[in-house]
This record gives sequence, structure tokens and C-alpha cells, in this order.
Amino acid sequence: MAATIELRSLAKTYGFGPQAVYAFGPADLTIPSGSFVSLLGPSGCGKSTLLLMIAGLLAPSRGEILVGGKQVSGPRTDIGIMFQDNTLVPWRTVEGNVALQLELRGQKPSAHAGRINELLRSVQLEDFAKRRPHELSGGMQQRAAFCQALVHEPDTLLLDEPLGKLDAMTREGIRADLQTLWMKRKPTVVFVTHSIEEAVQLSSTVCVITPRPGRIECAIDIDLPWPRDLDVKSTPEFTDHVHRIQEIFRDYGVI
Amino acid sequence: MTMASSEKPAPAGRLPAVLLRLLASLERSWPFVAFFVGLFLCWEWSVDLFNIPAYILPKPSEIVAKGWADVPRLVDYFWITGMETFVGYFLAIAVGLPIGLAIAFSPLLRRTIYPFFVSLEMVPKIAFAPLFISWLGFGMLPKVIIVVLVCFFPVALNSIHAFGSLSDELTRFCRSTGAGVWRTFWKVRLPAALPQCFVGFKYAAVNATVGATIAEFIGSDQGLGFYIQIVTGNMRPDLAFAGIFFLTVLGLLLFGLVTLAEHLLIPWHISVRRH
Repeated sequence: MAATIELRSLAKTYGFGPQAVYAFGPADLTIPSGSFVSLLGPSGCGKSTLLLMIAGLLAPSRGEILVGGKQVSGPRTDIGIMFQDNTLVPWRTVEGNVALQLELRGQKPSAHAGRINELLRSVQLEDFAKRRPHELSGGMQQRAAFCQALVHEPDTLLLDEPLGKLDAMTREGIRADLQTLWMKRKPTVVFVTHSIEEAVQLSSTVCVITPRPGRIECAIDIDLPWPRDLDVKSTPEFTDHVHRIQEIFRDYGVI
Repeated sequence: MTMASSEKPAPAGRLPAVLLRLLASLERSWPFVAFFVGLFLCWEWSVDLFNIPAYILPKPSEIVAKGWADVPRLVDYFWITGMETFVGYFLAIAVGLPIGLAIAFSPLLRRTIYPFFVSLEMVPKIAFAPLFISWLGFGMLPKVIIVVLVCFFPVALNSIHAFGSLSDELTRFCRSTGAGVWRTFWKVRLPAALPQCFVGFKYAAVNATVGATIAEFIGSDQGLGFYIQIVTGNMRPDLAFAGIFFLTVLGLLLFGLVTLAEHLLIPWHISVRRH
């Protein structure tokens, strides 16, 4: 069962004294268990910094992060993480790359072969299991990276602009896959993006982050029905949410 | 009119796989072979055309004839220089790789030994040859040490770069799995570092025979470097070219072995895939 994530007066500063760069915060936020929260903001606002702090891969300068009431003080191993540049290694096949997550955790992939196959099938990669990453398109590589991030059934999924380098059509397909995967298991998802439409389409809550030093301007609950396919984008509710967020960024001079 | 295609002979399909591979290899390498045949023909004719004396530039045909007569000695010296080269080369890898690895992971070593290595890399290693000869005599040891010295730096410096440049994403991914240092090393860091390590191995392989030959020039009584020096002093450039040919074979043999190892160990890397 996924745990609630709480940020308390969380801030990150790089460097010291007059050279200090205020990257993020201070900010308070509660991410309920099983929710899909997008961190939406312009480039350099500290979205990825916040994600790395939630993952326990970056220490906060101030404040704290609590997961299920316990303070995060080091890398969290109960998470699945994905970046804009995928973490597939070129010397392994797609299947081997998914298994790498398990091997690094000291588990035998043979004991989880069924789960690996099921995941690959769910993203239409079963026929490419024995291929190496360079034989796949960018979209297929990201799908394989999804499987790698999910194979150990994490309670929390942290996604740092995983669709950032993909074309519009491929993004749409992977958004659908991501939504299906989330609805099936309901892990807590924290999704970094700078696409307003993507955030509104996928999220249960959109956290709007201001330009640097990033602060959480507001957390908007998106009460559109699930699943959200392409048609949802033409609904007035969807457009209202998009316009509201656009207004916030316009006030900050971002767009 | 219809034609039964199955009745037609299909030579390509029926040739043994080895023969097909050989034919494909010949097809790929014919420009290389043609270039060298052309070069040697030009050389042969130019010597006659411009009346170049044999003590300045002998004809390739003379080099082959005279070199053939001296093959037993050349083969003996080939093994000696080969031994110095191979032992020195593999020692350099055995020493350079772990040192490079240690420097890549130790901030203290990176601040102390690494700048020292970089400065030392600027010094022509051959300058040390007379010192080693005077300390250790005319045997094989000083030549092996010179080869180690010549090969060590490309191996060590590329290893430092290789082991120290795992992407942020992969580093974070490994940390998020809770994998320990060794598991991360075997599963991710080592295979990720191999392509850059091979850059160092290949550069060192190219220079290994240079180190052995120059060490033999400076102080030796056997080996191909010694041979070339003696026959040149005796105004026998034909034999000197024969010695150079054997040195080239030695260099190509080492480089070929390293390339073979590269193909076996990192077949997935773009530098190998492209070939």
C-alpha cells in the first residue's frame, strides 16, 4: 500500500553566501496515497530538484520530507524512477533491462519472468523482448523504461519528464499506457512536466510551480472522469483547467 | 511461359557459410588490397625510373628476396620483440586499469596522483629509456618497463574517464535500487566503462611496439629494433625494410587481438556495430 508523501517547509539551495542559488521552496505539500500528482512549471523552476528530494537522492537544504510519517534521510528503494533520458543500458536486451531493476535489488529475474512478460505485453513490447535498445524507436525505449521502473511493483512512481523527447503522437500513446498502468495498481505517481495539457489530462492534482526559486503556487484538483482519452481534451472542464493554469503562468510572465 | 525458379541453381544459397563470410570479407577489403598492390608497384617502377640506388631505396622485390634469406634471424628477433611488447602491454593494462579505477572513485587520489599522471603523460617516455638501460642492463626487463611506461598512461587515463563518467540518470537509478557498490560495479559500471577502456587499450596497442623498438635502439643486442639499427649502419636498407615489415606484423597482431577482444566483449557498442 502506497504511503502519503508530505513536504514540510522543504527548500533547496545550491552553493553558499552570495553565490547561493535558490533552486526550490520553501514549500509545503501533501501527496495522498494512490494519487497522480503533476509538478508543472517552466524550465529551471526546481521541479526535478523536488523530485530528486522526494526520491531521497538529493538532500534538502531546509525542511523535511515524510513518507508514511517517516522522514526520508537517504535514497528510497520503494520507488520506481524514470528520467527524460532513459536508463536502459545498451549491452542488455529489453527483457534484460527490465530484469536489471530486479538484479540490482538482489532478486532473481527468473522468479519474476511472468511479471516481466506481462509488463512488456501491456506496452506492446512482447515481440521486442530480445532486442537491444538501439533497435527500438524512442517511444518504444520509453515504454521499456516504464516496464523497468514498474517491474518491482513500487508503491511510488517518480517520473521526471519521461515524455520530454518524444514526438506528439508517441507521447499520446504512452500517456494512455501510463494511465492504464496507474489505474490498474494505483501507485502514488509524481510526474514532472512542463506541458499544461499533459498535466491536466493525466493528473488527479496539478501542482503549479512558479519560476525560480520555485514555489508551489497552487495545487489544482482535476475532477475529470477516468479514463481520460483524447476526447477529454475537447470538454469545457478540461479547457477551463488549462485556461486557469495558463492565466497563472501569464501573470508570472512565463507565457 | 513460366519458369520454375527452384530448378535454377542458387550458388549463393548453397555455398558454405565460411566461404560466404570469406567472400564478403574479400569484397570489403579489396580497396585496401588494391591500394597496397598499387603502392608497391609504383615503388618498384619508380626506383628504376628515377635510377635510385639500392642503398638509398631498394625495390620491394629486392626487399622480399633479401629479407627471405634472413627470415630465421628475423623470426627469432620477432619473438624477442614480440615478447617484450606483449608482456609490457598486458602488464600496463594489469597496472593501469586498477589504478585508473581507484583514481576515478577516490577524490583524494584524483587531487594527488591524477595531476601527477597528467604531467608525466606530457613527458616523452622514451627519455627514460637510457636511464632504465643504465640501471637494469641490456636484458628484456628495461624494454618491458619502457613498453609498460608507454602503454600505462593511455590505459590509466582512459580508465579514469571511463569509470568516472557514468550518467547521472544511471547513477541515480542504481542508487534507487539500493544496490551496493560491488553489485552496481559488476552490473552497470564495468560494462558501461568498457568502450572507453578499449579506446585506451587500442591507443596503447598502437604505441607498444614503438616503445619496444626504441628501447632496443638505445641499448640491446637482440630484437627487431636492434636488427634495424645494425643493418641500417651496414647500409642495408633492404634488410631494414624487412625488419620494419616484421614490426608492422607484430603491431597489427597486437592491434588485431585487442580489436577481437573488443568485438567479443562489447558487440553492442556503436563503434563495433558500425563495422
